[in-house]
Amino acid sequence: MLIGAIIAGIVFGLYYTLVGLGLNLVFGVMRIVNLAHGDFLMLGGIAAWWLFTTLGLHPLASAGLVIVAFVLVGLPLYYLVVPRLLRSRDSEMLSLILFFGLSQMIEAVTTIGLGSTERSLPPRLLGVGPIILFGTRLPKAWIFSAAASAIAVLLVYLYLYRTRLGTLTRAVMVSRDEALATGIDVNFVSAVAFGISIALAGVAGVFAPFILGSITPNMGVAINITAFAVIVVGTLGNPLGTLLGGIIYGVSLMLMQTYLSSWANLLPNLLLIAVLLVRPEGILGRRVRRA
Amino acid sequence: MRSKALLLGLLCAVAAQTARAQPPAPVEIKIGALYASSGPYASISMPVAAGFRLWVDQTNANGGAEVKAFGKKIPIKLIAYDDQSSTATAATLYNQLITQDHVDLLIADSGSVLTSVGVPIAKEHKQFLFDVSGTGAAFFTDDNPYVALMADPVSTIWPHYISDFLADEGAKAGIKTVAILFSTNDFTGTQAAALKGFFEKDGKVKIVYYQGVPTTTSNYTVLINNIAALNPDAVLELGYVGNDIAFLRNLQDSGNQFRFVFSIYAGVEKEEIEKNVGVSALTHIYTYVPPSNYEYVPEVGMTQKEFHAAWDKKYPPGSKVTFGANAVYGYMTGLVVERALATAKSLDQMDIHDAVFALSGKLKTLDGTFVLRKDGAQIGEVTPLGQLQPEGKDDLTLVAVYPPDMANGKAVIGK
Repeated sequence: MLIGAIIAGIVFGLYYTLVGLGLNLVFGVMRIVNLAHGDFLMLGGIAAWWLFTTLGLHPLASAGLVIVAFVLVGLPLYYLVVPRLLRSRDSEMLSLILFFGLSQMIEAVTTIGLGSTERSLPPRLLGVGPIILFGTRLPKAWIFSAAASAIAVLLVYLYLYRTRLGTLTRAVMVSRDEALATGIDVNFVSAVAFGISIALAGVAGVFAPFILGSITPNMGVAINITAFAVIVVGTLGNPLGTLLGGIIYGVSLMLMQTYLSSWANLLPNLLLIAVLLVRPEGILGRRVRRA
Repeated sequence: MRSKALLLGLLCAVAAQTARAQPPAPVEIKIGALYASSGPYASISMPVAAGFRLWVDQTNANGGAEVKAFGKKIPIKLIAYDDQSSTATAATLYNQLITQDHVDLLIADSGSVLTSVGVPIAKEHKQFLFDVSGTGAAFFTDDNPYVALMADPVSTIWPHYISDFLADEGAKAGIKTVAILFSTNDFTGTQAAALKGFFEKDGKVKIVYYQGVPTTTSNYTVLINNIAALNPDAVLELGYVGNDIAFLRNLQDSGNQFRFVFSIYAGVEKEEIEKNVGVSALTHIYTYVPPSNYEYVPEVGMTQKEFHAAWDKKYPPGSKVTFGANAVYGYMTGLVVERALATAKSLDQMDIHDAVFALSGKLKTLDGTFVLRKDGAQIGEVTPLGQLQPEGKDDLTLVAVYPPDMANGKAVIGK
């Protein structure tokens, strides 16, 4: 059972890497916490459900459309909200309030529009039956989700370290003021990062019905708490540290479910407290972020 | 002269007393209720609220409810607040309904979690609480006359057909071991504890796995793998709608198979679960057969078919609420309210209590026979055990398989 829990935890954790990746990118670039991140994930799931039920679109195809659509939503949303927020005296704190409000609005509008019942996609779309990995039975959907996450991490890495815009993004991550002083169009760089972040949440949402069973309008808050734990563990502000945070969360959750199942929902909070007490800068810490 | 004055004074006192005993009839009967339009309990709360509203609308369309205390029909005014599945919000709103809105009758939100905060508040304010489906055993005590369970049996007796079936038919088919996986809340936690007690008492089926998980659990893959490692013959998963959807999907995805698998909402909210899980994952799953899938012969109110038709007319397919057992529970609560108002001597809360308890054993609705224990726990309306069996190529029918006198089909136990 121990080996099985660890293997399942690694694969499951990769999905939570995808969930937290965008949240961490936004924090890293803008030093704001997007508490509506989980709600954008929910909207990604709703979009995949709608595309399937109305057009019969496969979720993998929906994922492509969601990326484009959510980037296009993210760009104007950035210009509408974030620059004003960053001009305020305490933008980190105000971002919590503002995006919490946005989160509530998204949940309320979705509930009014679609009702509060569960929505899902047929399991067969990503293949029924297990894949056996080192003797552990895992749903095929987990493998698809883990693969999608791995691709997303790779693309974010390539974007940050192999493109000019990525280099500028890293410059903004190190010091927004210095980047501005050197003539970088900080707002454009940030807007792109914000759009990518929303798109990553949307893609995670497409896979959510297969990983979490179903989508409901109220799921955003719980997702945010978990995603926040993942990125704090992995190092706040370091998008690639999210990979480590996700895997640690996944393995810890599966071990808790195996040996102390009644207390499993305490895990995100326990991880947060432990990391903040022992290593507040996160497991990878500042060193990696500045590298 | 002094005696005449005394007599006159006595007459005045009697007249005043009589006037006090017969207050003028109110222009409306105020019924306070809570519902959850969002959050984890929305999927069980909204159908209850919609079913109850259907009863209110029907009653008002007929001129109101017959109120014996005033000898006339009086329209119902429904004051309903949204607690958003939050127990803290629900507690505030229960208080508001009692102390600010001064409702005549108080209806709890659906399910044990959101009812749990209403029970002590109603008791403190001596307000009778119509507990729709909060089946937690702790709500019902001999020192609290201000609560009665309407539409579901109390959790301590509800699951006994499961253990009876496994000890009887299951044992004959060679079922010897069982795993129980439950969500840790008043509703399913109490059912799990009751089942554990039944199995231990019978001694025919051995429990090899007994674990609780948080109600927020949305992934069961590792839990299912852990259960499979113990190789039980039967698996009982007790959770809310979201739990059951995740469990049944994960069970199919994992490829693990057990001879007997039980899930509460596979039958209780069949349409909702089938929509999210699919037919193949539900085939041969055991579940409760709720009144939305079983035809009792009612003496009061609509039959199940009439109610389903009325529901479809008011909430056409594709609307935001789904027909199922909870829809019946909401409507059935309305019927209890209707009969209580028609027989209560006054709107005093203890008179309401007496009127509701007087219905025990006599009220037969589309939800079965309403029977109350003296502490307010529902001990009638016990749902038979059922199984989802294939019907045609892509459909499932819910067949009652136990007890024999309620069965309308035969159980298929896996090899």
